[in-house]
Amino acid sequence: MKAAVEDIGRAHACRIQVGTSGYSYAEWAEAGFYPPGTRSGGMLARYAEMFSITELNYTWYQMPKAQAVERMSRQVPEAFRFAAKLNRALTHEIDPHLWRGQVTQYRDGIAPLIQSGQLTAVLLQFPPSFSRAPHNRLYLGRLLDALTGLPVAVEFRNAGWATDRVFAELERRAITLVAVDEPPLPGLFPRLDVVTHPELFYVRFHGRNASGWRSGNMQKQFDYDYTDTELQDWIRGPIRAMARRARTGAIFFNNHVRAQAPRNAQQLERLLGAVRR
Amino acid sequence: MTLRTRSIIHLNVADFAVAVERTLDPRLRGRPAIVAPEGALRAAVYDMSEEAFQAGVRKGMALRTARRRCPDARIVPPRPDRYEQAMRSLLRESIAYSPLVESGPGDGHLFLDVTGTGRLFGPPVDVAWRLRRQIHADLALDPIWSVAPNKLVAKVASRIVKPTGEYIVQPGEEEAFLSPLPVHLLPGLERGDLLRLRDFNLDRVAQLTALHPEQLEILFDRRARDVYETVRGIDPSPVAPAGNEPPRVAAAHAFADDTNDPGALKAALYRLVERAGLELRTRRLAARRVGVVVDHSDGMRRARQQAVRPATANDLTLFETARRPLLLASARRVRVRHLRLICDRLTFPPAQRPLFAETGRETVRRENLVAAIDAVRSRFGRDALRMGRTMAA
Repeated sequence: MKAAVEDIGRAHACRIQVGTSGYSYAEWAEAGFYPPGTRSGGMLARYAEMFSITELNYTWYQMPKAQAVERMSRQVPEAFRFAAKLNRALTHEIDPHLWRGQVTQYRDGIAPLIQSGQLTAVLLQFPPSFSRAPHNRLYLGRLLDALTGLPVAVEFRNAGWATDRVFAELERRAITLVAVDEPPLPGLFPRLDVVTHPELFYVRFHGRNASGWRSGNMQKQFDYDYTDTELQDWIRGPIRAMARRARTGAIFFNNHVRAQAPRNAQQLERLLGAVRR
Repeated sequence: MTLRTRSIIHLNVADFAVAVERTLDPRLRGRPAIVAPEGALRAAVYDMSEEAFQAGVRKGMALRTARRRCPDARIVPPRPDRYEQAMRSLLRESIAYSPLVESGPGDGHLFLDVTGTGRLFGPPVDVAWRLRRQIHADLALDPIWSVAPNKLVAKVASRIVKPTGEYIVQPGEEEAFLSPLPVHLLPGLERGDLLRLRDFNLDRVAQLTALHPEQLEILFDRRARDVYETVRGIDPSPVAPAGNEPPRVAAAHAFADDTNDPGALKAALYRLVERAGLELRTRRLAARRVGVVVDHSDGMRRARQQAVRPATANDLTLFETARRPLLLASARRVRVRHLRLICDRLTFPPAQRPLFAETGRETVRRENLVAAIDAVRSRFGRDALRMGRTMAA
């Protein structure tokens, strides 16, 4: 079932991997995605039997620690890949005096994934409050400089960043702009198929729960189940367009509630497989 | 014990007393601060800020020494009531996420068991992060938080990031997490244990993990089994549900001027007895034990207690019983700053009349007297009628 789709309708080969944002959810065992009784410590190995990539979200809450990351990477096959969310101290709770040191800590923490060749991208996800104000532009430029050498993908939640000048700068720096599927609410970043880095396109499906989006409760915000039609629209539209322009693609489902994310991920892989055939 | 992996959140407000004082007085922020009773001859340090700790100040140290080590520290007097109140606020914030919240008396430590709450509130680590953010916004406190599969590992995790930060230990990572750490971070190992370990050149947890149970027995005797589990990060102990503390009625009095005058202490005690007694009677309860906690000028605390037989809610009987613990708790030749009365082991008042007529008459007289006082006060106010001994000096 692993996703390795070689092309979508063109000769150009694009390797697309599909996974979920995080894999360690107790409710996934309750919802039947993991076999009953699967302990948290065994979830990654089980997950890696079904998917070829995951997005680490605990690195947003806590600075990654090299030893723990190394032990984690040993639990999965060599071909398994990780995207790692950048720590909140660098995207949501920025301290102008401390952030440079935190970049160093972060780089040290994820070093084992770089050494093993398993890091697909570092995900910078900025909050809706991170507008395109001059001081934020300056910070972003400096942060990207400090992350030089790492594969980086940037997700904005503020529509102010959706301009050609931003895309051109990301392209110049070879940084991936994350395409998102979110509820159609005013002010949110629009759904685009812009490719700013020929190596990688990156998509995140957050679900379309408009009423829960701003509830402050993840269980409501990310409670959504995609239909085949909605996913097919994505495949025929943005995914196909981006796959033509990038060598690889990473697609993640963040609607983790009641294990909808892994089910939708498997659903998308099935639909992509059908297109490929 | 369930087979399910547990998720325990540990919140720890470092240097709790100083942290609470800093919320009340912003001038204490960003500079060394020591909580200790000033003015007392042999005052001891109650708590200190990280800056003062770095300068060599320790809890229980004589204030004179602490001052020498950290001359620019601001000294503030301890106010245990406020720390307990802050603790209650922390508990209130936490209980929204789980009924299983266990807290210390007033030390800024809190455990939450959020196992199985994922469908309601999301992943444990997100709950911990949100809770910390909420506490920061509502109470201006900045707790360290950790998430781990048990209390032991969560506790150690919070110790290694002190004074601020967070630590997540994934299930299955417990032993690997502990093994490189120094042994003194493990809860349950006492001073004597650490000295013995040093004699054997054992200073890392991994060195203890390498020993088999028989070898550990040489070091720890009958506790070897517990230590064997501790060094592996095994701890099945549950998080006690909040509100599980035995019910009690308490009242406290802080002296405007510290005193060791027996008359003043007794007068204060009687006022506390009146407050506690009234609450007991209103709740139709009786106490089977009274305790007195005395805080001295030098920061030392002493507590003594005494059984009450039969259980009572009568001021006169409570006072008679409480006098002895007061005498024992205030026996030091140091003045008293704060007095606290605790009535616990609560029960319903005994229905059976005393067996002997003489005691029976006395009991009835006392009950009638207190009932009459209650009646007057409820009609004309608390100060309408006062006992002579509370008016002394």
